[in-house]
Amino acid sequence: MALNYKEELEKGYTMRTVMEEAERCLLCHDAPCSAACPAGTDPGSFIRSVRFRNFKGAAETVRENNALGSICARVCPTEKYCQMACSRCGIDRPIDIGGIQRFVTDFEEAAGMDILKAGTANGRKVAIVGSGPSAIQAAATLLSLGYAVDIYEKQEKAGGYLRYGIPEYRLPDKVVDCEISRIEKLGAKFHCGMTVGKDITMDALKKEFDAVLIAAGFSGAKTLPMFENNPCVETAVSFLARVKENQGNISVENNVLVIGGGDVAMDVATTLKFLGVEHVTDVVYEEFKEFLASDKELKGAQALGVSIIDGYVPEKVDGSEVTFSHRRIPGELKLKADKIILAVGQKAETAELGLDVVNNEVNFDGYQTTDPQVFVTGDLARGDKTVVWAVRKGKEAAEAIHQVIGGAKA
Amino acid sequence: MIKKDLSIDFLGVHFENPFCLSSSPVGNCYDMCKKAYETGWGGVVFKTIGPKHFVIDEVSPRFDKLDKEGTPFVGFKNMEQIAEHSLEENLADLKRLKEEFPDKVLIASIMGTNEQDWEELARLVDEAGADMIEMNLSCPQMTSHAMGSDVGANPELCRKYCAAVKRGSSLPMMAKMTPNVTDMVPVALASLEGGADGIAAINTVKSICNIDLDKKIGLPIVNGKSSISGYSGKAVKPIALRFLQQMRTDERLKDLAISGIGGIETWEDAAEFILVGASTLQVTTSIMQYGYRIVEDMKNGLMHYMEEQHVDHLKDLVGLANQNIIPAEELDRDYKVYPEIDEEKCIGCGRCYISCYDGAHQAIEWNEETRKVSCNKEKCVGCLLCRLVCPVGAISKGEVEMKPGRSGKPEDKVL
Repeated sequence: MALNYKEELEKGYTMRTVMEEAERCLLCHDAPCSAACPAGTDPGSFIRSVRFRNFKGAAETVRENNALGSICARVCPTEKYCQMACSRCGIDRPIDIGGIQRFVTDFEEAAGMDILKAGTANGRKVAIVGSGPSAIQAAATLLSLGYAVDIYEKQEKAGGYLRYGIPEYRLPDKVVDCEISRIEKLGAKFHCGMTVGKDITMDALKKEFDAVLIAAGFSGAKTLPMFENNPCVETAVSFLARVKENQGNISVENNVLVIGGGDVAMDVATTLKFLGVEHVTDVVYEEFKEFLASDKELKGAQALGVSIIDGYVPEKVDGSEVTFSHRRIPGELKLKADKIILAVGQKAETAELGLDVVNNEVNFDGYQTTDPQVFVTGDLARGDKTVVWAVRKGKEAAEAIHQVIGGAKA
Repeated sequence: MIKKDLSIDFLGVHFENPFCLSSSPVGNCYDMCKKAYETGWGGVVFKTIGPKHFVIDEVSPRFDKLDKEGTPFVGFKNMEQIAEHSLEENLADLKRLKEEFPDKVLIASIMGTNEQDWEELARLVDEAGADMIEMNLSCPQMTSHAMGSDVGANPELCRKYCAAVKRGSSLPMMAKMTPNVTDMVPVALASLEGGADGIAAINTVKSICNIDLDKKIGLPIVNGKSSISGYSGKAVKPIALRFLQQMRTDERLKDLAISGIGGIETWEDAAEFILVGASTLQVTTSIMQYGYRIVEDMKNGLMHYMEEQHVDHLKDLVGLANQNIIPAEELDRDYKVYPEIDEEKCIGCGRCYISCYDGAHQAIEWNEETRKVSCNKEKCVGCLLCRLVCPVGAISKGEVEMKPGRSGKPEDKVL
């Protein structure tokens, strides 16, 4: 099978096959899957709707809870949440909840449903800095409560990491476009290419808006000191963005070394394979038993022929030759590649936003900062850093804002 | 591979196995029947041959199916009538089939509009070499009310036409019944009185399978309209078994020779028909869905079943269940059986709890913490709905308790 970066790797269900999968669902009482979603999605309910052929009702259940229903369906590590809780595990394998959700949201899109509704305008305005998943969800929740929402995004297009980080074959641009256009339809104004702190100041935002919600995420890439200023080295953040912006049309060397073991590293390694790179070697600090990447991403990368070497830490680099040592047993690994991609984590870039960030997180629980008018959400807020958590934090931050400044303007 | 004798004699004709094509689209011409014989079917009921003057003109499309969840063909709707080939072609096909497959059973299905037609058709198929005649008194989608199930619902007409067929041929003959009656016995009796040697049952059930919700037309749509027509497949099996049982247990029809039809697709279905009194079996819908090859598993499965039952002759199984299906008022109502829940097998889905609460007697109790269930015997009536809905077979028949004041011992009960 020829790999195509621009084509979704996983095939969606058809009407027939989704019924077969829904038929496997046990339709549990007090469904454990529904209790296991950080974003409060209710698979027990939407799968039952599918089972009884109420596809529009299923779409309402997904969408009313989650403004990123189509995206979560594709990128959520469901194996750690709803699918891990699935009772069907007691028989064979869990229901493919993500796959069914994707069918439902694709159905919603094809049927042209407009499920989310804006609330009656309450005269209050919120500015959101950043346009990633938590920003989009916060916007949806605020709009439903009657707020006017303006979104400031420093990149050319909205979507944050969804747009610039997750490869096209996992999350097509057009799916991100659809989710964003839903929010636009609800009334959100997007100001792309506007960097807060440069093109517009925080003070100006605070003056114009009742509240400012910072959802700037981790837009920067971490590196390791030994790799700095090395022309052979690129960060995962930069590489993935470059590939996605060019829709796979870039040339890459034929022997690439990836360093890192999270989902981002798997995306990099898999993307390299999609681009036709023959030798992709990923050296990972963690051993397989403590692996950070989801099982699905790991297996996907291995299936495409990525060599994954676990348990090694880089010791020194000489041009494009990296020497690793094993973390537990005496031994060395020397690898020479044409290119090295570092996927060792991301970091917040919040210097201009006046936020007190420690270890890439604000140093308090919840969402309101010491400045009562300023709130924070997404990766910068404490808690898990997945998309599904971003949705949850987006909702909670919106509710926190509503609690503090809620009610119609006097 | 297991080898058992599946042969059986039915109305004096020897079948190498009981599996036959029923008179339908699956036995429409020489080539089809040849392939069926070669695949291992014991007999063929050639698609119903009508009189020369009755012209068949079919609609397009002509089928529909009922799905449930991910399962297609739970039931099947057919609007096709009887054979559309000319009388001469059909007779030539019969002749050729009998010549080339002398050991296989060839049954000619016929349908006339009056006594003269029936008599003439019987004579012609006899001359062509058929081993047996089946009278189609039951097709529910004929374009003439003088034919098909309208005739089969009328005992007098059945008697008259059976007699006509017997005047035309002395071949063994069975009358094929329509299920579109409340009681099949009077029609079967009348047919036997008229001269039928046995009964084939059931033909299809009059139906509307689905309605197009946008166009508000039944399916299939024929230029904006549709019609009621015959329903078949797995969904009708229970209805067919009931009719067989009612005939076989009527005093006047004791030991009635039956060719069983209605939703047979596995050896288990076949065995069920045999146990309620069928000697031979006829199949269409599952062939239309899967092809003639399904006979291989039906035959092999039936052989294994005979082996398990220590039975060497298929006839020894015929009708064994008849005596065990009795009127509701005669059933033992002195005891109840409680469910026994296997906690090891239970996966905590709570389906038994939901069904017991919403569909029975609120006896299954649910532990929210552990997601485990237990049975409250005070409330349990022993209906065992819980056992039917459990997806992992964790609920079985457990303790038997006599109702207060009733005599008898729990251990004597056959569960």
